[in-house]
Amino acid sequence: MNILIIGMAGGLAQITARLMLSENPTWTIMGVDSRSLDKVAPLPGLTTLSMKYSRGNFENIFRSHKFDAVLHLGRISHSSSDAEMLAKRLEISVMGTNRILDLCLRSGVSKVIILSTFHVYGALPDNSIFLTEDAPLKASIKHPELRDVVEMDQMCGQFMWKHQNELSTVVLRPCNIVGTQIENTMSRYLTTPMALRPMDYNPFFQFIHEFDMAQVLCHSISKLPTGTYNVAGSEFISLREALDIAGSKGMPFPIILAKGMNDILKLMNIQIPEYLLDYLKFSCLIDNQSLRKYLGDDFLRFKLRETLELIRLR
Amino acid sequence: MQLSQAFSNIWGVSPEDDAKIKEVFEVLRVKYAGYQDPWGFNLELCEKALRTILPFYRRYFKVRVFGQENVGDVPYLVVSNHTGQIPLDGMLITMAFLIDVQPPRILRAMVERFMAQLPFLGDFAAQTGSILGDRANCQYLLEHNESILVFPEGVRGVSKNTTQFYKVQTFTQGFYRIALQQHTPILPIAVVGAEEMFPFVWHVKSLAKLLKVPAIPLTANAFPLPSPIDIHIGKPIVVPDDLSHEAPDKDIKEQVMRIEGQIKKMLAVGLKHRRPFFDDIRKPLSKFILKQDRE
Repeated sequence: MNILIIGMAGGLAQITARLMLSENPTWTIMGVDSRSLDKVAPLPGLTTLSMKYSRGNFENIFRSHKFDAVLHLGRISHSSSDAEMLAKRLEISVMGTNRILDLCLRSGVSKVIILSTFHVYGALPDNSIFLTEDAPLKASIKHPELRDVVEMDQMCGQFMWKHQNELSTVVLRPCNIVGTQIENTMSRYLTTPMALRPMDYNPFFQFIHEFDMAQVLCHSISKLPTGTYNVAGSEFISLREALDIAGSKGMPFPIILAKGMNDILKLMNIQIPEYLLDYLKFSCLIDNQSLRKYLGDDFLRFKLRETLELIRLR
Repeated sequence: MQLSQAFSNIWGVSPEDDAKIKEVFEVLRVKYAGYQDPWGFNLELCEKALRTILPFYRRYFKVRVFGQENVGDVPYLVVSNHTGQIPLDGMLITMAFLIDVQPPRILRAMVERFMAQLPFLGDFAAQTGSILGDRANCQYLLEHNESILVFPEGVRGVSKNTTQFYKVQTFTQGFYRIALQQHTPILPIAVVGAEEMFPFVWHVKSLAKLLKVPAIPLTANAFPLPSPIDIHIGKPIVVPDDLSHEAPDKDIKEQVMRIEGQIKKMLAVGLKHRRPFFDDIRKPLSKFILKQDRE
């Protein structure tokens, strides 16, 4: 099998490639990223290319390699919400994904897997418990800077059903992926000694270990039929308890004041994206029944507590 | 220290109640062993809260509970009229089901979205068992054998002016559809006495709208008056098997109106047999005056 991984510079993509090749030594993987790939460890069967997704040579690799499956993990995280970054994210997440899907369709790829996020649901006070994949995507109602993730997810959903007879599309909406290799806001938040520890709210969270997420990505090639899937274990934990297990003492702080004090917090080197403040107030738990139907009840290797304990190794 | 001891002597939990609380929470610890609640329900905090508020329940509001024999060992959708400006009726019903009803249970009260947004208070409410009034949430709890407390009048029930006291507002239908979906019996409740906690009320609706809050009541007293409270528990109502939870509104409305009617009847009976507002002051006072006259 010939696989293309987009977003190869990310920690999750590297774990996924390693896992795929160790389980299937005959497979070949091409990893591309617009970022530098110098830090990607060489692996037998893995070729890496650094290029922009908008360039002609990106199109060429689809023509010259007959990919059986494409894993699109190249979404930009929301660490910054300034206007320039927002435009860049829209360019990459929405336009870029649209281009990738179109190329998959034209070059006869049989399976495309897109990594979305549970953030598309939004952290709102009226969220139901365990949101299913049918729940409305409300993230951008309060935070327009999340428009790109919502639009990307919706676009993939439309593409999925429109072209279901030509290729199989799987959209994964994982909960917080944490680990030692992945560089995302939540992993950093849980391990920073000055993490804001909400005094006035204590929402519930789900976490998945980066290794387990990589395993789900591998399985999604062969085991998941066309559709959108929430990715989370059945366990959940309160934020304060999660911070305790992850070893972050944190700084007790009324989150209700954090938005107004963002500039002061930035001076103290505590930078939390505005949308994430809502996640520190209100729970956004996702239902995992659809995924369990195909991967079984015990599809995760790490328990929630182990996942959080392992993050201390960062 | 002496002050707190004096306060404890006056407002502390009686030895009988202390034994009762221990017994109740022993039962509940067995029930909730291994259960993790996604809203953060905290049994230890509930015990602490009960110990703090029980003297008010017993000695301030002098709560009487009628119809305990109607409660069985099954999950219910407990449906009550809603009164008082600060919805203390929910707290008192929950306490009644903990301390005066067998088997004891924590009623999971459905609250408005407004409550979930409040810093500190929202978290405290969640830890003491409240949940956002949402169909999926109720379904989850009923599947986990929890009983739910619903006020189908919603905010309209508590945000009434003095002239509207004890006038039950039209029930919404959502609770009945949940009961149908889960085949959960409905337990009707009528609370008498909670309206008089704040005997004079005027609602500033325009200001509430401006501030985007459900209600802003202007009352003569900031602290609730010691109005004696009666909680009447009716016989459980079994929902029909041949009615779908997706049935048209008119079919559901018929059933909801029956429940609303039953609660109104219970309320009328309860109001007839209620204790006068200042009974505890009036009776000893008249006895004293009588004694003085005789002498």
